[in-house]
Amino acid sequence: MPWSPRSRGPLTAVAAGGLCATLAACGAVTDGSAGGGSYPSGPISMVVGQDAGGSTDRIARAVADGSKGALGVSMPVENQPGANGAIATQQVAESDPDGQRIVLLNASLMTITSLVVPEEEAVTLDDLDVVMGLSRDDYIMVANADTGYETVEDVVADSGDITYGTAGIGTGSQLAQLLLFDQAGIEGREVPFDSGSPALTAVMGGQVDVATIQVGEAMPQIEAGTITPITIFSEERNAYLEDVPTAKEEGYDVPVAQYRAVALPEGAPKEVKDTLRKGLEEITASEEYKRFNEENYLTPVEISGEEVEKEWARLADEYAQQVEESGLELGEAGE
Amino acid sequence: MDFTPVLEGFAVVFEPQNLLFCLLGVVVGMVIGVLPGLGPAATIAILLPLTYGMDAVPSIIMLAGIFYGAIYGGTVTAVLLKLPGETSSAITALEGYPMARKGEGGKALGAGAIASFAGGTVAIVVLTLIAPVIADFALAFGPPEYAALTLLGILLVATISNGTKSKAFAAAAAGLLLATVGRDGFTGELRYTAGSLELTDGLQFVPIAMGVFGLAEILYGLERRRGGGAALMTADKILPTRADMKRMAGPIARGGVLGFFLGLLPGGGATVSAMASYGIEKRLNKGPTRFGQGAIQGVAGPETANNAAATSSFIPLLTLGIPANATMAVMFGALLIQGITPGPQLVATDPDLFWGVVNSMYIGNLVLLVLAIPLIGVFVRILHVRQSILSPIVVLIVCIGAYTIGNRIFEVMVVVVFGVLGYLMKKNGFDPAPLILAFVLGSLLEDNVRRSLLMFGGDAGQVAGRPIALTLLVVFAVVLLAPIALRIARSRHGGPPGAPSAEGPGAAATGPEPGPGQSPGPVESSAREAPADGPSRT
Repeated sequence: MPWSPRSRGPLTAVAAGGLCATLAACGAVTDGSAGGGSYPSGPISMVVGQDAGGSTDRIARAVADGSKGALGVSMPVENQPGANGAIATQQVAESDPDGQRIVLLNASLMTITSLVVPEEEAVTLDDLDVVMGLSRDDYIMVANADTGYETVEDVVADSGDITYGTAGIGTGSQLAQLLLFDQAGIEGREVPFDSGSPALTAVMGGQVDVATIQVGEAMPQIEAGTITPITIFSEERNAYLEDVPTAKEEGYDVPVAQYRAVALPEGAPKEVKDTLRKGLEEITASEEYKRFNEENYLTPVEISGEEVEKEWARLADEYAQQVEESGLELGEAGE
Repeated sequence: MDFTPVLEGFAVVFEPQNLLFCLLGVVVGMVIGVLPGLGPAATIAILLPLTYGMDAVPSIIMLAGIFYGAIYGGTVTAVLLKLPGETSSAITALEGYPMARKGEGGKALGAGAIASFAGGTVAIVVLTLIAPVIADFALAFGPPEYAALTLLGILLVATISNGTKSKAFAAAAAGLLLATVGRDGFTGELRYTAGSLELTDGLQFVPIAMGVFGLAEILYGLERRRGGGAALMTADKILPTRADMKRMAGPIARGGVLGFFLGLLPGGGATVSAMASYGIEKRLNKGPTRFGQGAIQGVAGPETANNAAATSSFIPLLTLGIPANATMAVMFGALLIQGITPGPQLVATDPDLFWGVVNSMYIGNLVLLVLAIPLIGVFVRILHVRQSILSPIVVLIVCIGAYTIGNRIFEVMVVVVFGVLGYLMKKNGFDPAPLILAFVLGSLLEDNVRRSLLMFGGDAGQVAGRPIALTLLVVFAVVLLAPIALRIARSRHGGPPGAPSAEGPGAAATGPEPGPGQSPGPVESSAREAPADGPSRT
């Protein structure tokens, strides 16, 4: 059907309307970062590279909640999901280093995802300045209660016909499980899911025998007895699950956990960084924030930015080396 | 069963904030839904960004409110303008508009409101009782079962949709193709991303829905204007008389039961159940008014059925994580935005949300009934506002909403591209619903097929050991082959060969016995009478 001249008028109006919205929206973004003088000059945007509602987002919001008291300004959380957080991280790295735009980082983006994606897509800490570390979220391997597995040995004994779920490729869940299975010589079939929650459902329903997910996800079902905790992957035991041994105690070298930290673009003035760090220290020392950590089974790792950068670089090297030595391919679940 | 969580759910609903959002949702839903051409899916898609800053429970309660508000808004336009928001209210227009022409528009709307309330309420009561049972059983749903169910869902949507089947299948195929964009979740390989970092996670559902349902409808509506449509009728004397109520009782009871069960099936339960109810009532009609000339039974039955179906379609979404129709697909997107993955664990891990939402439906339906009747005058006035004023406002809301998804312009572009695509599709007789649903179900299908094969060690034959998956696949085969078998049987018996355009997929899914001597079910007969794409198009 040809365009009738009658219909063109309103269409132009529509296009103009869309354009207005676009311009207005753009205006709103650049607005906040123009301040000079004392820091903070206005609300600080906390950028999160994950969807609202996920664990990373909730940590960002717990920090942001304390901002008004500690830094005197509000801290709106801005979700920019995509590419496991790479989009948000790059976007912050390219913005003005005035401290008005900060990002909540997931260590796995730099240490694990980089093992899967092509080099030009890999995100590094080069353009960012880490302000301070926040917490550690442990990975745990769990088994369906009906399998009768209680220890890694039980799983080893059934090597060959085991199916195991992961939270997806390039995640800590996958890396931890692949490294453990490789070191323990367990043969099995990997079944990747989109995230921890469907992997948990699959273990509960007996669709897979074991899966590695985050402690917070597993806790309600461990308490309900539908799944059995097998081993924790961080270097020390988890305070909320004192009687579950670490993989290291069982003789396997698989130090995989999810760490989180706050960073701003490289090149921020020292005063800005100091003010921000003091504010964050005050927030993390508050009762509300501590309670948040406990309720979400997070272990505080409130170390300095320099320590975070050093630690994450060490982890990235170690993971890369282990993966290379074992000849594992994280991206080959389907082959 | 243990009713404690159910009762706690009521405590959640009665929190003042949640009551307020429920009320707000119903009102806003009615106001937007009353705009010609905007059905529930479009309304929810447009208003979705309102919920970004909200907590999960109030936001889903509000969206559910918007949902029934919008359904009722569609009834208003169907009755007064003969311009249904979506196909399920097209059936309402068949009797509602003639009633309005006779000066009984108010009565038709009143009957619609009462019937909607009855249908919704009956369905919620049953939902309350059976949802936990389904959720228990849902743990048995592994990758093979999901794969089979999504396969069936896509087929049913394509089969039931408006327009010709080949176009519906083409739209569904396009949806499946769009679902493959992004990083492959099994190998890490990038597919069709054209080097764009924004596309590594694939296309997002919400901007696509906003484009295809929201923007496209506006564009299409602008072109259609009021010229082609029917004259706007007035509405007064809203409350049905005692005699009317007596006539409505039967259709409401039958419509409620029918709607509830058909709503459980994947693939547009509301439309099918409204059609089926209309067919049944037409057959049972004892007067005084003939169908087609404004029979109140023909409003009451289908309205009850489509509301009951709309409510029961929440069951597969909340318990299995499978959206049964396009509107539920938008709801699915809304839940994901809130960080909630609908699925078997929802009842157990998030009882506040689950029961809060379910129980808010009681309140929402009541609010709807109480508000709909006094507000009818307002709706009529909204219908008088020129499209050239309303449309830019809606487009503005859509664009701002799209921007807030990722706080960047990329999603706005996606909305515009899919808005234009949706407009072109509609103009050329393609129903966008199969595209949207296939897009949502496509990645579920692909991932679960591949997961199943990994679980089976590559041996697809092992599906034989999984009764649920096997049953679903058999149903799939029946739905796919029954129309063909029917056509062959008909042509052999010298029947009309070109007839089987709407082979009653609802009937097919519940186990048909396709014999040539059987008369076509009510679904089919009414489907033929129902205008395919909104009565105003002709």
